[in-house]
Amino acid sequence: MKYSRVDQGEETVLAIEGVLDALTAPEIRPTIEALVQERRMSIRVDLSSLRLIDSSGVGVVVSLYKRCKAHGGQVRVEGLSNQPLTIFKLLRLDQVFGK
Amino acid sequence: MGRGEVIRASFPSRLEYRDLAIRLVVSACKLVPKVGDDFSNEIVSAFSEALNNVVLHGRGGGEVELELEHGRDYLTIRMMDHGTPFDPRQAPLPDLDALPESGLGAYIIRSCVDEIDYAGGSPNILSLTKRLPRERQP
Repeated sequence: MKYSRVDQGEETVLAIEGVLDALTAPEIRPTIEALVQERRMSIRVDLSSLRLIDSSGVGVVVSLYKRCKAHGGQVRVEGLSNQPLTIFKLLRLDQVFGK
Repeated sequence: MGRGEVIRASFPSRLEYRDLAIRLVVSACKLVPKVGDDFSNEIVSAFSEALNNVVLHGRGGGEVELELEHGRDYLTIRMMDHGTPFDPRQAPLPDLDALPESGLGAYIIRSCVDEIDYAGGSPNILSLTKRLPRERQP
Protein backbone atom coordinates (compact mmCIF):
# COMPACT_ATOMS: atom_id res chain seq x y z
CA MET A 1 0.00 0.00 0.00
CA LYS A 2 1.17 3.52 -0.82
CA TYR A 3 -0.56 6.71 0.08
CA SER A 4 -0.06 10.42 -0.37
CA ARG A 5 -1.54 13.50 1.22
CA VAL A 6 -1.73 16.78 -0.69
CA ASP A 7 -3.20 19.93 0.89
CA GLN A 8 -4.62 22.55 -1.50
CA GLY A 9 -6.05 25.39 0.54
CA GLU A 10 -8.96 24.03 2.57
CA GLU A 11 -9.04 20.79 0.60
CA THR A 12 -6.94 17.70 1.21
CA VAL A 13 -6.54 14.88 -1.30
CA LEU A 14 -5.66 11.55 0.28
CA ALA A 15 -4.73 9.04 -2.43
CA ILE A 16 -4.40 5.38 -1.45
CA GLU A 17 -2.94 2.78 -3.82
CA GLY A 18 -2.62 -0.98 -3.76
CA VAL A 19 -4.12 -2.92 -0.87
CA LEU A 20 -5.80 -1.42 2.21
CA ASP A 21 -6.36 -4.32 4.56
CA ALA A 22 -5.70 -5.69 8.03
CA LEU A 23 -1.96 -5.70 7.30
CA THR A 24 -1.65 -2.20 5.84
CA ALA A 25 -4.43 -0.24 7.58
CA PRO A 26 -2.26 0.50 10.67
CA GLU A 27 0.26 2.28 8.40
CA ILE A 28 -2.23 4.97 7.39
CA ARG A 29 -3.90 5.49 10.77
CA PRO A 30 -1.41 8.22 11.91
CA THR A 31 -2.27 10.24 8.78
CA ILE A 32 -6.00 9.82 9.47
CA GLU A 33 -5.38 10.95 13.03
CA ALA A 34 -3.48 14.02 11.81
CA LEU A 35 -6.27 15.01 9.38
CA VAL A 36 -8.79 14.83 12.20
CA GLN A 37 -6.62 16.70 14.69
CA GLU A 38 -5.95 19.46 12.12
CA ARG A 39 -9.70 19.72 11.49
CA ARG A 40 -9.34 19.58 7.74
CA MET A 41 -12.74 20.65 6.37
CA SER A 42 -12.80 19.04 2.93
CA ILE A 43 -11.12 15.71 2.23
CA ARG A 44 -11.18 13.83 -1.05
CA VAL A 45 -10.14 10.18 -0.71
CA ASP A 46 -8.87 9.05 -4.11
CA LEU A 47 -9.17 5.26 -4.39
CA SER A 48 -8.72 5.05 -8.17
CA SER A 49 -5.53 3.00 -7.76
CA LEU A 50 -6.80 0.83 -4.90
CA ARG A 51 -6.72 -2.84 -5.91
CA LEU A 52 -8.16 -4.49 -2.80
CA ILE A 53 -9.87 -3.48 0.44
CA ASP A 54 -11.13 -5.51 3.39
CA SER A 55 -13.26 -4.67 6.42
CA SER A 56 -10.22 -3.29 8.26
CA GLY A 57 -9.55 -0.91 5.38
CA VAL A 58 -13.20 0.10 5.25
CA GLY A 59 -12.99 0.81 8.99
CA VAL A 60 -10.21 3.33 8.38
CA VAL A 61 -12.20 5.25 5.75
CA VAL A 62 -15.40 5.20 7.81
CA SER A 63 -13.49 6.38 10.88
CA LEU A 64 -12.14 9.34 8.90
CA TYR A 65 -15.64 10.16 7.63
CA LYS A 66 -17.34 10.01 11.03
CA ARG A 67 -14.68 11.97 12.89
CA CYS A 68 -14.44 14.70 10.24
CA LYS A 69 -18.19 14.98 10.07
CA ALA A 70 -18.30 15.40 13.85
CA HIS A 71 -16.42 18.70 13.53
CA GLY A 72 -18.35 19.83 10.47
CA GLY A 73 -15.96 18.55 7.82
CA GLN A 74 -16.73 16.72 4.60
CA VAL A 75 -15.21 13.51 3.22
CA ARG A 76 -15.79 12.26 -0.32
CA VAL A 77 -14.54 9.01 -1.81
CA GLU A 78 -13.69 8.96 -5.51
CA GLY A 79 -12.44 6.52 -8.12
CA LEU A 80 -13.88 3.27 -6.79
CA SER A 81 -13.76 0.31 -9.17
CA ASN A 82 -13.50 -3.49 -9.15
CA GLN A 83 -13.29 -5.20 -5.73
CA PRO A 84 -13.30 -1.99 -3.65
CA LEU A 85 -16.47 -0.85 -5.47
CA THR A 86 -18.07 -4.24 -4.78
CA ILE A 87 -17.40 -3.83 -1.05
CA PHE A 88 -18.55 -0.21 -0.87
CA LYS A 89 -21.80 -1.11 -2.67
CA LEU A 90 -22.37 -4.14 -0.44
CA LEU A 91 -21.97 -2.01 2.68
CA ARG A 92 -24.04 0.78 1.07
CA LEU A 93 -21.10 3.14 1.52
CA ASP A 94 -21.17 4.22 -2.11
CA GLN A 95 -24.33 6.13 -1.19
CA VAL A 96 -22.73 7.69 1.88
CA PHE A 97 -19.50 8.81 0.24
CA GLY A 98 -20.97 9.74 -3.11
CA LYS A 99 -23.02 12.57 -1.56
CA MET B 1 -19.39 -30.97 -4.67
CA GLY B 2 -16.63 -33.42 -5.43
CA ARG B 3 -16.98 -33.04 -9.20
CA GLY B 4 -14.24 -30.57 -9.92
CA GLU B 5 -10.48 -30.41 -9.91
CA VAL B 6 -8.68 -29.39 -6.73
CA ILE B 7 -5.69 -27.13 -6.11
CA ARG B 8 -4.02 -27.49 -2.72
CA ALA B 9 -1.74 -25.08 -0.90
CA SER B 10 -0.59 -24.36 2.62
CA PHE B 11 1.07 -21.33 4.15
CA PRO B 12 1.94 -19.95 7.60
CA SER B 13 -1.00 -18.42 9.45
CA ARG B 14 0.32 -14.86 9.19
CA LEU B 15 -0.96 -11.71 7.47
CA GLU B 16 2.23 -11.48 5.41
CA TYR B 17 0.93 -14.41 3.33
CA ARG B 18 -2.48 -12.85 2.69
CA ASP B 19 -1.66 -11.28 -0.65
CA LEU B 20 -0.12 -14.49 -1.94
CA ALA B 21 -3.19 -16.52 -0.92
CA ILE B 22 -5.53 -13.98 -2.52
CA ARG B 23 -3.58 -14.11 -5.77
CA LEU B 24 -4.06 -17.89 -5.76
CA VAL B 25 -7.82 -17.47 -5.36
CA VAL B 26 -7.92 -14.89 -8.18
CA SER B 27 -6.06 -17.32 -10.43
CA ALA B 28 -8.41 -20.17 -9.50
CA CYS B 29 -11.40 -18.01 -10.49
CA LYS B 30 -10.02 -17.85 -14.02
CA LEU B 31 -10.29 -21.64 -14.24
CA VAL B 32 -14.09 -21.42 -13.97
CA PRO B 33 -15.41 -20.90 -17.51
CA LYS B 34 -17.32 -17.68 -18.28
CA VAL B 35 -16.43 -16.20 -14.91
CA GLY B 36 -16.93 -12.46 -14.62
CA ASP B 37 -15.35 -9.74 -12.52
CA ASP B 38 -18.24 -9.74 -10.05
CA PHE B 39 -17.64 -13.43 -9.29
CA SER B 40 -13.94 -12.86 -8.60
CA ASN B 41 -14.48 -9.67 -6.62
CA GLU B 42 -17.06 -11.29 -4.37
CA ILE B 43 -15.30 -14.55 -3.60
CA VAL B 44 -12.00 -12.73 -3.04
CA SER B 45 -13.80 -10.42 -0.61
CA ALA B 46 -15.26 -13.37 1.29
CA PHE B 47 -11.99 -15.26 1.36
CA SER B 48 -10.07 -12.20 2.49
CA GLU B 49 -12.35 -11.77 5.52
CA ALA B 50 -12.28 -15.47 6.34
CA LEU B 51 -8.50 -15.42 6.29
CA ASN B 52 -8.47 -12.39 8.59
CA ASN B 53 -10.63 -14.31 11.05
CA VAL B 54 -8.22 -17.24 11.07
CA VAL B 55 -5.02 -15.21 11.30
CA LEU B 56 -6.12 -12.32 13.55
CA HIS B 57 -8.65 -13.96 15.81
CA GLY B 58 -7.86 -17.65 15.61
CA ARG B 59 -4.65 -17.34 17.63
CA GLY B 60 -3.65 -20.71 16.39
CA GLY B 61 -0.43 -19.94 14.58
CA GLY B 62 0.78 -22.86 12.56
CA GLU B 63 -0.39 -23.43 9.01
CA VAL B 64 -3.49 -22.65 7.00
CA GLU B 65 -4.36 -25.28 4.42
CA LEU B 66 -6.34 -24.35 1.34
CA GLU B 67 -8.26 -26.46 -1.15
CA LEU B 68 -9.65 -24.67 -4.19
CA GLU B 69 -12.10 -26.87 -6.07
CA HIS B 70 -13.22 -25.53 -9.42
CA GLY B 71 -15.91 -26.90 -11.70
CA ARG B 72 -17.83 -25.72 -14.76
CA ASP B 73 -20.03 -23.40 -12.76
CA TYR B 74 -18.56 -22.98 -9.27
CA LEU B 75 -15.52 -22.43 -7.11
CA THR B 76 -15.29 -23.85 -3.59
CA ILE B 77 -12.64 -22.67 -1.15
CA ARG B 78 -11.99 -24.95 1.80
CA MET B 79 -9.81 -23.44 4.49
CA MET B 80 -8.45 -25.54 7.33
CA ASP B 81 -6.79 -24.17 10.48
CA HIS B 82 -6.06 -25.16 14.05
CA GLY B 83 -6.99 -21.94 15.84
CA THR B 84 -10.00 -20.89 17.90
CA PRO B 85 -13.18 -21.94 16.06
CA PHE B 86 -15.26 -19.17 14.49
CA ASP B 87 -18.40 -19.88 12.50
CA PRO B 88 -19.21 -16.82 10.35
CA ARG B 89 -22.81 -18.02 10.03
CA GLN B 90 -23.34 -17.38 13.77
CA ALA B 91 -21.95 -13.83 13.93
CA PRO B 92 -24.47 -11.00 14.52
CA LEU B 93 -25.39 -8.85 11.54
CA PRO B 94 -24.10 -5.27 11.61
CA ASP B 95 -26.37 -2.23 11.52
CA LEU B 96 -25.13 -0.70 8.28
CA ASP B 97 -27.06 2.53 8.87
CA ALA B 98 -24.88 3.17 11.93
CA LEU B 99 -21.74 3.12 9.75
CA PRO B 100 -19.87 0.55 11.87
CA GLU B 101 -16.07 0.63 11.75
CA SER B 102 -15.70 -3.03 12.69
CA GLY B 103 -17.70 -6.24 12.85
CA LEU B 104 -18.26 -6.34 9.08
CA GLY B 105 -16.22 -9.41 8.15
CA ALA B 106 -18.80 -12.13 8.72
CA TYR B 107 -21.44 -10.03 6.94
CA ILE B 108 -19.16 -9.69 3.91
CA ILE B 109 -18.51 -13.44 3.89
CA ARG B 110 -22.21 -14.27 4.09
CA SER B 111 -23.14 -11.75 1.41
CA CYS B 112 -20.49 -12.68 -1.13
CA VAL B 113 -20.84 -16.46 -1.47
CA ASP B 114 -23.75 -18.81 -2.13
CA GLU B 115 -22.98 -21.54 0.41
CA ILE B 116 -21.09 -21.63 3.69
CA ASP B 117 -20.28 -24.74 5.68
CA TYR B 118 -18.31 -24.80 8.88
CA ALA B 119 -17.09 -27.56 11.15
CA GLY B 120 -15.14 -26.57 14.23
CA GLY B 121 -12.51 -29.00 15.44
CA SER B 122 -8.96 -29.88 14.71
CA PRO B 123 -8.78 -28.72 12.07
CA ASN B 124 -11.58 -26.17 11.75
CA ILE B 125 -12.93 -26.44 8.22
CA LEU B 126 -14.62 -23.48 6.53
CA SER B 127 -16.06 -24.09 3.08
CA LEU B 128 -17.14 -21.21 0.84
CA THR B 129 -18.85 -21.91 -2.48
CA LYS B 130 -19.68 -19.42 -5.17
CA ARG B 131 -21.66 -20.36 -8.28
CA LEU B 132 -21.89 -18.67 -11.63
CA PRO B 133 -25.05 -16.63 -12.04
CA ARG B 134 -27.75 -18.50 -13.97
CA GLU B 135 -27.25 -16.56 -17.20
CA ARG B 136 -23.61 -17.62 -17.31
CA GLN B 137 -24.08 -21.29 -16.39
CA PRO B 138 -23.22 -23.87 -19.08
